[in-house]
Amino acid sequence: MAPLKHLEMENSIIDECFRDFCASHGILTVEDFLLHDLYELAAFAEREANADRLKEGITVMLSLIELQCRPWLNGMELLEDLQRNKHTLSSGDNGMNSLLQGGYGEGQLTELVGPSSSGKTQFCMRAAASVAEKQEGSVFYIDTGNSFSARRIAQFICGGSDAAALRKRVLSRISCHTVYDIYTMFDTLQGLEVALRSQVQMNVNEYRLRLLVVDSISSTITPILGGSGSQGRALMVALGYMLKKLAHEHNIAVLVTNHTVGAGESGKTKPALGETWKSIPHVRLMLSRDNRNSNCTISILKHTSMFLCVFVFFIAFWPNSEDHNSLGQSTMSITNFLWSSAGFT
Amino acid sequence: METWRLPLSSSIRGKLISAGYTSLSSISSVSSTDLARDVKITESEAFEILKMANQVTGSSSCNGRSSSLVNGARNAWDMLHEEEALPRITTSCSDLDKILGGGISCRDVTEIGGVPGIGKTQIGIQLSVNVQIPREFGGLGGKAIYIDTEGSFMVERALQIAEACVEDMEEYTGYMHKHFKASQVQMKPRDILENIFYFRVCSYTEQIALVNHLDKFISENKDVKVVIVDSITFHFRQDFDDLAHRTRVLSEMALKFMKLAKKFSLAVVLLNQVTTKYTEGSFQLALALGDSWSHSCTNRVILYWNGDERYAYIDKSPSLPSASASYTVTGRGLRNSSSSSKRVKMM
Repeated sequence: MAPLKHLEMENSIIDECFRDFCASHGILTVEDFLLHDLYELAAFAEREANADRLKEGITVMLSLIELQCRPWLNGMELLEDLQRNKHTLSSGDNGMNSLLQGGYGEGQLTELVGPSSSGKTQFCMRAAASVAEKQEGSVFYIDTGNSFSARRIAQFICGGSDAAALRKRVLSRISCHTVYDIYTMFDTLQGLEVALRSQVQMNVNEYRLRLLVVDSISSTITPILGGSGSQGRALMVALGYMLKKLAHEHNIAVLVTNHTVGAGESGKTKPALGETWKSIPHVRLMLSRDNRNSNCTISILKHTSMFLCVFVFFIAFWPNSEDHNSLGQSTMSITNFLWSSAGFT
Repeated sequence: METWRLPLSSSIRGKLISAGYTSLSSISSVSSTDLARDVKITESEAFEILKMANQVTGSSSCNGRSSSLVNGARNAWDMLHEEEALPRITTSCSDLDKILGGGISCRDVTEIGGVPGIGKTQIGIQLSVNVQIPREFGGLGGKAIYIDTEGSFMVERALQIAEACVEDMEEYTGYMHKHFKASQVQMKPRDILENIFYFRVCSYTEQIALVNHLDKFISENKDVKVVIVDSITFHFRQDFDDLAHRTRVLSEMALKFMKLAKKFSLAVVLLNQVTTKYTEGSFQLALALGDSWSHSCTNRVILYWNGDERYAYIDKSPSLPSASASYTVTGRGLRNSSSSSKRVKMM
């Protein structure tokens, strides 16, 4: 914990005399302050010459400490917050929407896991296009593999009478940032947080940020994970928490992609990044591609409010220029079968 | 804004945190001598820490109300125009170019893998010649870096392909002369060979060191437009006991290539070998280096035999559909398999 003298810069009340007084009771750092009996300290302060200043110092210290912890919320407030602020964003694909009962949730961290070329980047771009076009929000896309293709996103946008103007409007709401290592990732997210906080204060009514995509998070974490020391894992968990905090505080849906690794003896593939990462995302979706036909399957590995569900859909690429829904046509019969087999009629 | 976010070694970070400096604001208010004394490190180390901390706080506090939320982010609309204007390196085989959307794209890392003898090195040599086609003929007019790990680069073959390329350009000029006035072909095969920078790498440490050095090398030779690594797998398949270490090293190398490609707008082509994998009860061919490596490229092209013909298949791409095309390797380089005429269409 920080020594008390560092707090003097911002709070002039914690000056030399206050620190001497605290030191005489064995309080040198903020941690000591928290552990000490504060009533006793106030009583001792009464006896000193500059009692008022000392008591003011104690109150300022307490308020600083309170600022560091998050506010209490009860169930009603949480429910209100959920209903008012946290909507679901359509993912742009009907199949995915029906699987997730609406789409990606704001305030939630959704993870797409899949082997190579199973469609994860396509889903990310589809979601970006859908949010920018239909939900009137802006999108922040962090790309680590040079796979962001503005041309592909332009294909996802429905044409109309004024296709060019619409495309310009929609594409200008998507901003893309390339990041190649974890420290730059932290800096970028920090910058984003600062910008969002200043926006909230200024009440700017531009398109508010609704979707944050990180494609892919595993390629920034894999170089530091493992090896001696747990520093890599600490950074990974810190990154996960930062994303969840951004999602919750600013009502953003966060979408990340992860890759799969072979699971040794059992032969099946499992998501990368290990056991520690497993508990961090709110929703985990596994994509797998059948090599023989171009069917892809999405299954829910983990969801905070739904049970395990499997969905099959087709990826149809390279539409004609007039095609709208170039990604996915759902097969509703299979869903119905699954729901009924689970006891829901 | 916490101290653990700074890129420091773990021992120094441990000392910082146990001395109580957990947030960046507490570091920035202290002078380097005080910091060195409190944390028990040398003064130069303290100075480095302060510099890093100031950089981080400086960059995050001046993000005001730029129209893109964070400095450095770019608008998709601007990127669309850039993408459409991006030059591509032709492979001299028009079918292959068509499925690649015009050729190998710059700013992307393309992985090309296939069984031995299918023509990977031939594609590598062809690309290092084709990148030098001058702008008037539709090429990039740039230089090439060829990193050879297997020793399969043959200078005589490169000379042969270069001569064929120059002959094709002269034929094209002759054709154009009849209809328009076109410039004379200035290039000679010797010039083409001069513009290929060749590195021979003999161990994986050399490979990693070379990749780290490439940034500086390319800043000094700004014309380089393609980096070809033939092959990226060779030194990583043997001598590695610790597979986790191999994954870490490979993913870091992949990120460095991505960064190079983006920073200098060049194409990176990585040639890969195949291995057999036992999945679903049968043995199948898959690209080497494992599952984690398969995510480290932007595009992937798989070369395979179909009967007697060589085929290329786009396996992974963010914006191109999956398609396959056939090609042949002739004395003059890579060509279409069906055409029997000697003239190659230039773009």
